[in-house]
Amino acid sequence: MAGSTSIQIHKRQPIRATADSFSVRALLIGATLVFFLLFLLLPLVVVFQEAFSKGGTAFLETFRDPYTRHSILLTLLIAVITVPLNTIFGIAAAWCVTRYRFRGRSFLITLIDLPLWVSPVIAGLLYVLVFGAQGWLGPWLREHEIRIIFAMPGMVLATLFVTFPFVARGLIPLMQAQGMKEEEAALTLGANGWQILWRITLPKIKWGLLYGIILCNARAMGEFGAVSVVSGHIRGKTNTMPLHIEILYNEYQFASAFAVASVLGLLAIITLILKTRAEWRAEQELRASNSATAP
Amino acid sequence: MSIAVKNITKRFDLYPALSDVSLDIPESELIALLGPSGSGKTTLLRVIAGLEFADARDGRIFFHGRDVTDLSAYQRKAGFVFQHYALFNHMNVYENIAFSFRVLPRSKRPPEPAIRERVVELLRAVQLEGYEKRLPTQLSGGQRQRVAFARALANRPEVLLLDEPFGALDAKVRKDLRRWLRDFHDSTKLTTIFVTHDQDEAFEVADRVVLIDKGLIQQIGTPSEVRAHPANPFVTDFLGLV
Repeated sequence: MAGSTSIQIHKRQPIRATADSFSVRALLIGATLVFFLLFLLLPLVVVFQEAFSKGGTAFLETFRDPYTRHSILLTLLIAVITVPLNTIFGIAAAWCVTRYRFRGRSFLITLIDLPLWVSPVIAGLLYVLVFGAQGWLGPWLREHEIRIIFAMPGMVLATLFVTFPFVARGLIPLMQAQGMKEEEAALTLGANGWQILWRITLPKIKWGLLYGIILCNARAMGEFGAVSVVSGHIRGKTNTMPLHIEILYNEYQFASAFAVASVLGLLAIITLILKTRAEWRAEQELRASNSATAP
Repeated sequence: MSIAVKNITKRFDLYPALSDVSLDIPESELIALLGPSGSGKTTLLRVIAGLEFADARDGRIFFHGRDVTDLSAYQRKAGFVFQHYALFNHMNVYENIAFSFRVLPRSKRPPEPAIRERVVELLRAVQLEGYEKRLPTQLSGGQRQRVAFARALANRPEVLLLDEPFGALDAKVRKDLRRWLRDFHDSTKLTTIFVTHDQDEAFEVADRVVLIDKGLIQQIGTPSEVRAHPANPFVTDFLGLV
């Protein structure tokens, strides 16, 4: 009811000069909704539908398969290694570009984004080029019997590369907007750099940081291209969930493929909920620090 | 504690913020740095606090005759109050004020009852008794600035540096806090430098006023001296004495 009356008011007299007419707005909102339903929501529903197409027992059966179990464990293990590392790198990078002015600073900010606009496959190939058997370090690594490519270290490296920007990108705008008056205050009160980081900066940015960590984690678990190049697809050894899904799919085990995919899908939904919440809290955080500077 | 500033020069890129500035502030003085925005007054205050470092190696800062030029802000421990309070929003009033004790090494940290006593004493001094548990976001601007004063004073600094401390407050609160500052200074005799662009504020509160423009000190004197004998056209113009 309220909606229809407000639309009538808008029709007669637009509230703002920039407001579009009713028909334009209806068209835009309609197009967005259709796109959302068709390309985002429908596939997600289909994934779950296919996963259970042969019933709940078949679904559970998929997860009794040792290869499937191993792929899930490996995915979790890679995330457990890469997410904390990139959290530390991300904080350091954001701290560096927001707290200091130096030559090449804007270049560094661009560089942080590099993994976002380089195809992940290229990232994978880079590591093969450096660490592979025919690569620069190949002979040395063979001599010392260190395996990086077609083994877990290579997959961790590839994932690190691909997920590097998320934490830093989440933090840089937030830290820039918040400024560093509180840090300066802490300094004049006798706090050293370490105390300022733990007691002032991290509490100030915690929701923005969480937001970055969640995105980083989602990408670490879902990464396909870069990891695919360096993994070698050895079942029970170097297959992560996305790679395992592809193998199952190529072997026409559709129900199993979708069952594993549904787990990844579920992770994505949980990520989305957590992300939305973190994003909302990060905004509150920023508003709090801004309102604190208003009279 | 007396403060001496000797030949301080500071450039931002190519634009000089301070050009060869020297200033002597005797113990227990309340002195105002007065000038238009961009004059370099805040930069001078920040150089004294150690939040900014001067360019030329021959520029020096002395606290009570001791050369502190190479000490960082956290070693100088000057009480500093910011225009926009810079309170720690995730800590309540009590923890904000106790912060300078929390960061001390264990061996030098006073026991909790002593900290509590000091916090309560300071809250009484700034007329905010009973506000320990409040968060900064639950306070008005004037209350926040008083918490910031209490926080800066907690660990008994020997100098107090105020950067446009009343700049963000409305006229009524401003007047009250000005008077409070003057009374507070009269009772403690803590050497205090405060930066302002408001001449009424400077003349009402300060023992002496330092007029700054374009990174240079234009005149130093008591409010009546400056008013009676403006040193140059800038001072005449800025004070509207034409």
